[in-house]
Amino acid sequence: MTTVPAHDPAPVHYPAPAHYRAARDSALIAGRNLRVLRKNPGRMIYPLVQPLVLLVMFVSVFGNLAIAGHAGGSSGTYRQFLIPGIIIENAALTAPTTGLALLRDASSGLADRFRSLPMARAAVLAGRLASDAIVFAVQAVLLLAVATLLGFHVRHDLAGLAAITAVTTAFAAGVAVLSAWLALLINDPETAERVLFFPAIALAFISSAFAPVADLAGWMQPVARVNPVTAAAAVIRSVASGGPLTAPLLELGCWTAALILIPGTLAVRRWNAAR
Amino acid sequence: MGDLTAPRDASQAAAVPAIQVSAVRKAFGQVTALTDVDLTVSAGTLTALLGPNGAGKTTLVRIIATLARPDAGQVRVFGYDVVRQAGQVRARIGLTGQYAGLEEALSGHDNLMLIGRLAGLSRGRAASRAAELTAALGLTDAAERMVRTYSGGMRRRLDLAASLMHHPGLLVLDEPTTGLDPGSRRQLWAVLARLRSAGTTMLLTTQYLEEADRFADIVHVLHHGKVIASGTPGQLKSRAGGEGTSLDDAFLALTRGSGDRGSGDRGSGDRGSGDKASQNTGAVPS
Repeated sequence: MTTVPAHDPAPVHYPAPAHYRAARDSALIAGRNLRVLRKNPGRMIYPLVQPLVLLVMFVSVFGNLAIAGHAGGSSGTYRQFLIPGIIIENAALTAPTTGLALLRDASSGLADRFRSLPMARAAVLAGRLASDAIVFAVQAVLLLAVATLLGFHVRHDLAGLAAITAVTTAFAAGVAVLSAWLALLINDPETAERVLFFPAIALAFISSAFAPVADLAGWMQPVARVNPVTAAAAVIRSVASGGPLTAPLLELGCWTAALILIPGTLAVRRWNAAR
Repeated sequence: MGDLTAPRDASQAAAVPAIQVSAVRKAFGQVTALTDVDLTVSAGTLTALLGPNGAGKTTLVRIIATLARPDAGQVRVFGYDVVRQAGQVRARIGLTGQYAGLEEALSGHDNLMLIGRLAGLSRGRAASRAAELTAALGLTDAAERMVRTYSGGMRRRLDLAASLMHHPGLLVLDEPTTGLDPGSRRQLWAVLARLRSAGTTMLLTTQYLEEADRFADIVHVLHHGKVIASGTPGQLKSRAGGEGTSLDDAFLALTRGSGDRGSGDRGSGDRGSGDKASQNTGAVPS
């Protein structure tokens, strides 16, 4: 039962409904993260410039191998197959920055400041996810622009490009939440920096990102079939080139929801854990 | 100079203690940080919590600030339970920890706006409060600079300003002057003195015993996780030897013979090295 004390130096702010406070506080945290990015443009090199370099390198190197017959089909066909994989691979490789940024906050004096404020308890994670989702979306748009210059074709033009951006952002958000939980579990920025990218690399390679599942080594195939990277790449390929969409889209939706809800809840609990 | 605080219903301030700690225990694994701690902080007072490194000061401060949970016992802040009514407590406290809780990559103004808005202020109220506090704390000229360019003293003052954004009834200061040069300590204490005269309740931990001697109304000495002495600085000095005895002497007399300072409380967040409590007794800049 809530006790109302006889003397109460009432706070000056006006209480608002919890869901409004959660959305407002998350937006404030997201705004702070974006302002930090804007004032420190060097921090955008990894999420926005490096993926473009990787895209050009991958397409140049592996596109030529395809011509020689190592990956099957003409280079144009393989390029059309490869680029969705590279887009998703970059999303998977960028998403762990969410966990690292959250851990930086948790390791600084700022964490105690946030925890001692009457703010929504999930706002630090939700705000981080919201600001990073904008970065993921910008990354996808830039990659698609360069990919188009490299010969990548998307059906339905703008609608197709928007759909691919949305799918890539949703996938990256799921991996980002997973990385946030893992980072808070690891609880050491240096260790997390070394550890968090391994699962992302493994996810990307044990999937259909770079080759059809049937062409992978036998032990990889069962993992690759249920890998969310495979589902995400399949959705992008279907949107770009045609093909079955419902099944991979459903699979990706389930993965994304599970990745956001389960590790997300655990990450918020971990962030707020009073020790 | 701007208004540092706007105490509300100060006439009732003494009706309920600002802090009531009852039989609190806390351990981190095998290390006992607090053992049956009882203490009361009256509203409108400046209370100092003294103790050697590892005595449990920071653990107690973190429990009061809702950052840690007691294993047993109860802590109430203005009558609200810090565990069950943490939100109510958070709305009424300001925390200045040992390390500035600031975003280094943003300006001082941006930091204050963020903290103020997160504490529930509207954009307009946060902006006017930020301007008021930066003026009061001598940071107006630096308000638009990134915090990473601030000196240590400026960071602490900005951190204090952030703690005051939502007009807290209780200000919790965990070693706010540690590591500051004498000039910066003097500036910070001038601000704290004004807050005190305005009626803000303050709980302070410090390793500078002269600061407690000079500014605190009540001192609690914590040792091995227990409160071993409480009283005004004058009372503690009298107990230790009377006329001519310093609080430093009183502190050493009270904690003498322990032989293991700094050994406990490893999980509590008490930071620092060596036996600073007996070393950093330099005079408070005046």
